[in-house]
Amino acid sequence: MAPGGYFGCALVVDVNGTAATAHGLDLDERVLRGYLGGVGLGTWLLHRLTPPEVDPFGPDAALAFVFSPLVGTPLTTSAKFAVVAKSPLTGLLTDALASSQFAIAGKLTGNDAIVVRGRARQLSVLLVDADGVRLEPAADLTGLSAAEAEAAAKQRFGRGWRTAAIGPAGERGVRYATISHDGRHAGRGGLGAVLGAKNLKAVLVRAGAKVAVHDQEAVLAAARDLRARSFGPATAKYRELGTLANLLAFNAVSTLPTRNFTAATFAEAPKLAAEQLHELRGVARNSCASCSIGCEHIYSRKGGGSQRMEYENVFALGPLCGVSDPDDVFAASARCDELGLDTISAGGTIAWAMECAERGLIDAPWLRFGDGPAVLRALDEIGAREGLGALLSEGSRRAAEVVGQGSLDFAPQVKGMEMPGYEPRTLQSMALGLAVNARGADHNRSGAYEADLSGRLDRFSGGEAHVLAAVDTEDRAAVMDSMILCKFLRGVFDEPFPEWARLLRTVTGWDLDEDELRAVARRIVRAKRAFNLREGATAADDRLPARMLETPLELGSGRTATLTAERLQAMVTSYYEARGLTADGRIPAARRAELLLDG
Amino acid sequence: MAGPVAGVVLAGGRSSRMGQPKSGLEWHGATLLFRTAAVVARAVDGPIVVVRAPGQQLPDLPEGVDTAEDPVEGLGPMQGVAAGLSAVRDRAGAAFVCSTDLPFLHPAYVRAVVRGLDDPAVDLVLPTVRGYRQPLAAGYRTALTGLIEAQIAEGNLRPGMLLKHCCAVQPDDTALLADPAVAATDPALDSVQNVNTREEYERARARPAPDVTVQCFGALAGVHRRGPRTVAAASLGEAAAAVDLALDRHVVAAINGDHIVRDARLPLVAGDTVAFLSADAGG
Repeated sequence: MAPGGYFGCALVVDVNGTAATAHGLDLDERVLRGYLGGVGLGTWLLHRLTPPEVDPFGPDAALAFVFSPLVGTPLTTSAKFAVVAKSPLTGLLTDALASSQFAIAGKLTGNDAIVVRGRARQLSVLLVDADGVRLEPAADLTGLSAAEAEAAAKQRFGRGWRTAAIGPAGERGVRYATISHDGRHAGRGGLGAVLGAKNLKAVLVRAGAKVAVHDQEAVLAAARDLRARSFGPATAKYRELGTLANLLAFNAVSTLPTRNFTAATFAEAPKLAAEQLHELRGVARNSCASCSIGCEHIYSRKGGGSQRMEYENVFALGPLCGVSDPDDVFAASARCDELGLDTISAGGTIAWAMECAERGLIDAPWLRFGDGPAVLRALDEIGAREGLGALLSEGSRRAAEVVGQGSLDFAPQVKGMEMPGYEPRTLQSMALGLAVNARGADHNRSGAYEADLSGRLDRFSGGEAHVLAAVDTEDRAAVMDSMILCKFLRGVFDEPFPEWARLLRTVTGWDLDEDELRAVARRIVRAKRAFNLREGATAADDRLPARMLETPLELGSGRTATLTAERLQAMVTSYYEARGLTADGRIPAARRAELLLDG
Repeated sequence: MAGPVAGVVLAGGRSSRMGQPKSGLEWHGATLLFRTAAVVARAVDGPIVVVRAPGQQLPDLPEGVDTAEDPVEGLGPMQGVAAGLSAVRDRAGAAFVCSTDLPFLHPAYVRAVVRGLDDPAVDLVLPTVRGYRQPLAAGYRTALTGLIEAQIAEGNLRPGMLLKHCCAVQPDDTALLADPAVAATDPALDSVQNVNTREEYERARARPAPDVTVQCFGALAGVHRRGPRTVAAASLGEAAAAVDLALDRHVVAAINGDHIVRDARLPLVAGDTVAFLSADAGG
């Protein structure tokens, strides 16, 4: 019998031509307890079900939708799922989370994960429920946005189905295409392109099974408590202004990447600020399923329509490209949603291209910093993989390798993934987090910026304290992304690991304690690294672009923020030590067994 | 200036006319020494060292500030300068050196003085303000340590003795005020105004706090605190109070976009901009 909150089984679906078959993969309790679910369990599944050096676009590549023991409970923010695959953008492991009903319906197909392999002959949709799987041709969905495809699927298959779909960019193999459900995106690393390569426009799931938790009364009590705490000051910023509140704050502390990381402040930031937009635009709030925070802020657009805005899409399509007109940024964000593009990678790649164009390295005189319509044109070409878009659809690292002429030095990426809106020279814990993270430049798997912005350490001078902060936030992210709870809830936990262990005990029945949960976090982080090492990653991948290490930033305070290669390397070396890795960042043979990958 | 520049604050001295150690004088919720050390720390990028007399008790110092002991008493301020330079010379090529009792010292003044050491031929930047040399608000190459010690050993205790033996520049009021930041924020060059008596201290303490610009961000801004506003505040705590904030676990600040801080005692100076943020800023 499976532990509370689990079915103890992953469904492995093989798509072959015009049909799909499936078999169950029993998930040993040792594996569930060692990896929890979500990103952790997805990493384990990728190890097991993806052959080494697989082509992410090949039929053997596995794409896993992974749920968690908390999904389906009344615990606030728990209705989330992870999508995990080998990334076509980085060639390494990527995982992304999205929220809402797909998570609940997907789990209640009777599976802790649904893993898809193979390839359909024509564009199709895959349907999974408690009765099994089936493949349905879906040529009529070609070229539709994810939202349109979701609506069409609902029309065709009925309201009981929940749909995760890709847009045109995923169909066309843009390496940073997303998978979307209910307007929310599993955004980073090109998961949409992996699904598209399987000729799958969408995966539909329908609930039919039931799952029990260990102590229903205790879970209900915990849910009431957590919900009450979710209304407190720790989540106020998400409720009141949403993540876009970061924009002005980051600008004030010189950590708002601007014009392809050539500056850390943007003079026109106030035009894009949540505070300003709240006053000038109609705004509505929304929540994911089972969420009491309600972080989504949806702004009305000039000329009609509305658009959900977050810090990361505004940063990437605004200041990073030098664009300050909010309507241009709204339009660019909407276009990314329609095409199914990761806004961070799209903005980062376009910002790099703008710098290339201004330096005369590529022939695109129309592409200039500050030109909002040019961003829209670039997005359209990327979505269509036409014109300059054919190059930019590959992401900034691959594009820079084609363009050469030193352009890789200022491609804003780590391991091929474009950098989020956190300037590493002024946030040096985060600099380490960005450099060593398995997914590439990422702010959701390493939240080390928290330490930089806490005032507890000197954010301009990375050292040992910064390493410990980076390790700690990475561990916390590993647990939150695996059990799964939304990270916007993280501030309500005074003692995260003991409190999370308590939550998991009530759901699963395990006698799990804080120490064991910390060991789980370390295992997940190491297992991700082990996957990347298997795919050819080396210590040389744990670094930042040359621009961040060779070009100091002049700050308004008169200070110069400098991050040298030597300082970063010293932190990386300490990080390896703290993680129990070898000097070249590998997993010691003696620790392999802890990863539970061989059984 | 190649390499880091240190800060040295001399806290020894008898304070005989004041009647109590100047280092412990209250200054807007902190002490005079705390303020001076913190202002210097804002303006240089190297270590900050407070030089004290043997066994001297010091009040709280800003985070990261070190102390060094001047082993010899009674030889005057240049002995303290030598002790301070000696304490930092393995970590910095130059230092701004000052006394504790400069309640209006401005980071712009410190930067302007230190900038004089950008010329590698210059060993000493000795400002001359209103006709008076300011050896205790001056920039020194740390390599001068040996020379100063040798001069003291020969009985030359006056600061001016260095001028014969090293390359010095002596910027006057006009030269100092040519720096736009100094001209804008310290036009009377109050940075060098010291306090020696109780009356001088009380007059200085009674002066209005400097005008600073405060802005709250994110959830802290709410409806009532949006946009920048000018307040009179000599410390971070006073600025927070002016906008009804407390620097608790949920609130941090950045002065002029620089370090993230939460110590209410940190000094503010004219022209500062203070950003108050949620302590958990970020996505």
